[in-house]
Amino acid sequence: MSAVLLIAIPLLAAFLSILSKKLAPVLLLLVAAANIILIFFVPSGIVVIGGFDLPYGINLFFDTYAKISLIVVNALFLVVSLLNISEHKKMSSILLVSLAGLNGLLLTGDLFNLFVFLEVAGIAAYLITTTNKKPLSTFNYLVIGSVGSILYLFGLMILYGMFGTLNLMDMVYSIQNSSVAYSSLLLPFFFMFVGLGVEAKLLPFNAWVKGILKHSNTLSGPMIASVYAATISFVFGRLITNLFQFEGKLLLVVTILLVAGVVIGEAMAFASTKAREILLFSSISQACITILLFVNGIIIWAVYLIIANALSKLVLYLVVNKAAKQTESDDVEALQGLFVKNILVGIAFTVAALSVMGLPLFVGFVIKLNYLTNLVLMDQLLVVGLILIASLVEGIYFVKLLVKLWFKGDNEIDVKFNVSYKLVFAVITLLIIVFGTYTKPLENFDNGIDTVQDQIEVIYHG
Amino acid sequence: MKKLLAFIAVIGLGVLIILALDTNYQFPAFGYAYLPDRVSEHYITKGSDVDIIFGQTLNPESGPANIVTSIVVDYRSFDTLGEVTVLFISALGVSLLLGSAVTQKRLELEFKPNFMLRVGSRALFGIIIMTGVYVTLHGHLTPGGGFPGGTMIASAMLLLYLADDQFRAKIKSFKVLEGVAGSFYVIIGLVGLVVGTYFLSNFLDNGVVGDLLSSGIIPIVYILIGLKVGSEISGIIDNFLTEEETK
Amino acid sequence: MIQYAAILLMMIGLYGLLTNRNVVKIIVSLNILEIGLNIFIISIGFVYDGIAPIITSTNNSSALVFVDPLPQALVLTAIVIGVGTTALGLAIVKSIYAKYKTLEIDEVEEN
Repeated sequence: MSAVLLIAIPLLAAFLSILSKKLAPVLLLLVAAANIILIFFVPSGIVVIGGFDLPYGINLFFDTYAKISLIVVNALFLVVSLLNISEHKKMSSILLVSLAGLNGLLLTGDLFNLFVFLEVAGIAAYLITTTNKKPLSTFNYLVIGSVGSILYLFGLMILYGMFGTLNLMDMVYSIQNSSVAYSSLLLPFFFMFVGLGVEAKLLPFNAWVKGILKHSNTLSGPMIASVYAATISFVFGRLITNLFQFEGKLLLVVTILLVAGVVIGEAMAFASTKAREILLFSSISQACITILLFVNGIIIWAVYLIIANALSKLVLYLVVNKAAKQTESDDVEALQGLFVKNILVGIAFTVAALSVMGLPLFVGFVIKLNYLTNLVLMDQLLVVGLILIASLVEGIYFVKLLVKLWFKGDNEIDVKFNVSYKLVFAVITLLIIVFGTYTKPLENFDNGIDTVQDQIEVIYHG
Repeated sequence: MKKLLAFIAVIGLGVLIILALDTNYQFPAFGYAYLPDRVSEHYITKGSDVDIIFGQTLNPESGPANIVTSIVVDYRSFDTLGEVTVLFISALGVSLLLGSAVTQKRLELEFKPNFMLRVGSRALFGIIIMTGVYVTLHGHLTPGGGFPGGTMIASAMLLLYLADDQFRAKIKSFKVLEGVAGSFYVIIGLVGLVVGTYFLSNFLDNGVVGDLLSSGIIPIVYILIGLKVGSEISGIIDNFLTEEETK
Repeated sequence: MIQYAAILLMMIGLYGLLTNRNVVKIIVSLNILEIGLNIFIISIGFVYDGIAPIITSTNNSSALVFVDPLPQALVLTAIVIGVGTTALGLAIVKSIYAKYKTLEIDEVEEN
């Protein structure tokens, strides 16, 4: 069992699925399920494509970091597809290509290959957002996404001109062992950071997020805000930990951008009155916090934060989108009293929201406590202070939202959630509560899950 | 006002990039790239110690005489697979957005092509298709390959569309061709995994550098890519030039 | 010289993206940006007095001075990806026109 099958089988299924429109949804669900099972049978290590020696061919990198990210992303993808497939049958081939692109992003060890798979996953995302029936927002997303990829390629080519290689491990080794002045690395690193930051919703490149997620439905909302967000954060984490070296002025600029993103995101969520807007601004600030943790080297808690956010946002977006579809509006006023008749859904929503806020008894609290402790140990007191203020603001608006949704308003609201939704909500609620109280398994992993540096030692010095 | 700000910002960014590249000692000046410092040296010498001679070297690491082809389809074949997927999903997206109606007819335009254009274009059609097929087949010996060849075949279809305002190609067969060609590319990769233990490894003999029948699976892959690109772009052209049939 | 021209093209494309209000012109500016980037990438591989990296019956040995073949292979991929994105962009433009009957961003109320 080779890791490349995780990418090749969805691609083969995508090419075959356009021959028969009836079988395409079945193929999608089979392949997504098979992918999850396959992950457990793949051995760790480097997989070379084509059998060539290392920097001359392309290689895939499968270590613990890749394994965790693959399991999370594939499982979330399967859940979102299962819930939506009866409604959006025409999207099956596109979803298969999207699955191949996401897996390729998480596995690849070559920087140009990352650009190609970023485009594959990106174009699949543009097509998924066309189900919103808002063509101008999709157009904005396409233009801004393409500019981001172009900037990433520009930075990568400058690095190629300087060091002569495109392989991640080779590039890191060359940068560490050369006597290049840091100022000449500023420009390419900054461009690559901006290029990936566009997709990752970092400020100020997230002009597309409002248009897309504000009018989302049960397919595009969870897919963009949960599955894609988790993937890009994992990719960012891999690159920041190994390739980008942030020192001096660049570190200052990047930290200011990220902290500004956190604060402004929370402030705009506070000022909004529409449920989907509140959720999307909260997503933006959580993404900025994640990247901030990666920049400071707190890898393992950043990974847990990504997973917790992906699960919580899945629940939140599914609930709000399903309700908004039936009531034709997502004003918080219009959704008042949603949970009076849907108690199980209400509990799931409340648990997910409280976990994002970071209250005790839920896994969000454990993660928040640990990463704040780590930041304090690194003397980043200003950052910690701003995150705490932002969390306070977040707490206020989430509590406001919850109060409105639990207590009956003036109009009667009647939204039905079918059994499959309730099952998903129950499972995720259980996970959040279990890991919030029994935190032993979380301590099995530490910052050593990303093994690129170790492999470089083995290959070049061993 | 906004235009002035944008202009200043863009000029500033351009000057910044040029200054940064000029003061960067590691980035080589234009024309002074030193190839032995880069991975490209291995692609040129194909990893062997003796020189590769046209018409004489037997079974090198990578067969084609066109070094760019050996990079695109042999060393970095995975990137080409991703690129083929991008084109596939773009064509699929265009047909989803524009071709969803049950029956379609040609778009009504003001210009009506005349008889001479309609007949003359059919004569040109054969010549363009032959050029496209030639460029596709000789991808490992001359510049070209599947991508330009496929595009030439699609441009021949575009010529027929433009010259005759009632012409419509058989789109269903294009879709079948596209799907089959794409799956064959992945299946070749999987056969390489089973037979040669690496995905997309070249499991056929590489032959003599410079012969038409050389380089293992590379001409086969280029033919598949040429068919796929040609049928996809023809499908895109058809989707743009048709509209819903309103009774 | 060529690298300055490539960066100038990229800046022209970027300026067009920032200031245009007609969606078709935005797509054209995006294409100009991509062309500038492709020229820049190819220019990284140039070697003075180098020949095209193909072994033919006249340049029949691999010991001659070639230009760098790797950026050319990368640009091949980048061009095709640009074509795919442009085709999709134009299809979205057609559906914008079908829905709102205008091609100017300012006239479309989508909030």
